[in-house]
Amino acid sequence: MLEKEVVQQRGFHNVYKDGKAVGFQVRYRSTYYRGVWLSMSTGFDVTVDGEKFPRDQVTVTIGGKTYTQEEMKKIGNVQWPNYEAAILTVTKPGGLKLGVHEVAIAWGHRTSYIPGGMSMGRGETPARKLVLVY
Amino acid sequence: MTMTRKEFLQTAAGAIAVSAITRIASAAAEKPGPKRGVSAYSYVSDLNVNCTLEDCFAEINDLDTRNYDLGLEVLTGVVEDYPNPSDAWVKKWHDMCAKYHVKPVEFGHWIDSKLYNETGPYLSTEESYEQLVQDIKVGSKLGFTHGRTKLGVIDQPGMPEYDTLTPVRNWREIIKKALPVAEKYNFRMLPEIHAPTLLNSKILEDYIDFIQKEKTTPWFGLNIDFGVFQNITSARGRDGQPGGMPMKEGTYSKPEEIIALLPYVHCCHAKFNEINDDCECPNIPYAAVIDILKKHNWNGYLLSEYEGADKGSGGAFAAVRKQHVMLKRMLGEA
Repeated sequence: MLEKEVVQQRGFHNVYKDGKAVGFQVRYRSTYYRGVWLSMSTGFDVTVDGEKFPRDQVTVTIGGKTYTQEEMKKIGNVQWPNYEAAILTVTKPGGLKLGVHEVAIAWGHRTSYIPGGMSMGRGETPARKLVLVY
Repeated sequence: MTMTRKEFLQTAAGAIAVSAITRIASAAAEKPGPKRGVSAYSYVSDLNVNCTLEDCFAEINDLDTRNYDLGLEVLTGVVEDYPNPSDAWVKKWHDMCAKYHVKPVEFGHWIDSKLYNETGPYLSTEESYEQLVQDIKVGSKLGFTHGRTKLGVIDQPGMPEYDTLTPVRNWREIIKKALPVAEKYNFRMLPEIHAPTLLNSKILEDYIDFIQKEKTTPWFGLNIDFGVFQNITSARGRDGQPGGMPMKEGTYSKPEEIIALLPYVHCCHAKFNEINDDCECPNIPYAAVIDILKKHNWNGYLLSEYEGADKGSGGAFAAVRKQHVMLKRMLGEA
């Protein structure tokens, strides 16, 4: 099962390529009550220790497949289910230092049955302290 | 998350051991009249965090399934790998329904008109039809005979109908095209009549006009959400109002306004956001509404839909249990 908090502790770690840290990953679960077609996501913003990463540096892995945020806008037949946290992979040469970091994630989506202008921005979460072990 | 059948049976056997499922499954005809059921949406804040889908089934089983199988609504998002569930998962689903004595009644699904943008162009009739047919097929595979078919809403700030939940302009064309498919798959398409929409309103007139003119019964009809009857502002409810979109201040529908609609109502959401320890719902006139349903021989399921203030903090399970005490009393099952 998933952690109650939207920003998940498990899965927070650097990503290594050829032995070098090239970025990091963090998992985020949707608390919206239904699954969301990828095209209806209006984007993820990741902020760590006050540093906000541009969206083109953040890819999203759902159902074992990795998408850029631009690619997601065109995919209307794949759904992000409630039982799965999305893995956000952030490009950051050198990765993050081991230890405690404050991680905040903002995510939003459209809602077809809510009048225009009232679609849901989930807003930025309060920063959660996560521990990076590798 | 896919389980082999053996793994599933082992898990299910553990869960089932504590449940008093002694009734022999009966092939008797369905009990006529209003019947109890649950929308698993009530448990959505707990699902995947504190409990599994199977725990929700076990909980519904514990709401007294001795005399008949309780009706079930789930939303598309609980279907593993939706919209393409595996045969193994579909088998697991049917096994759970049988074991826990729940009957798939209503599949909560959407036509996502805003699939690609907020302000238009919205999904074409053909694209909307394809989404709808996809859900009819998935729902039918899972045994659902009704859909809570949520149509896209086009209201934008500045439009005259803004905030009345006006459906997309092409809703008639979409539904007409899908009628033969709905009939083929035994699946009733039902938009949800939800606050702030009133039963006595232009939207309802349009639906009824379409239903009568196109003779859509029963393949297209209505699902009434009892939040439309909330006549006392809730002190504790989310935003002091029924969940989702609130009623406009001081407006609500009277129970008797449902009477003329009953021939077209194939399912109801037993919405509630407050229930006290006497198992009474103080802000929605349930006694009057249930009385009307009984008197007019309405036949269908009342699916509990809890949206109280403590829904996100573990309150849903107890609230639904209390509501079923209330419903059993009112339906003469107590």
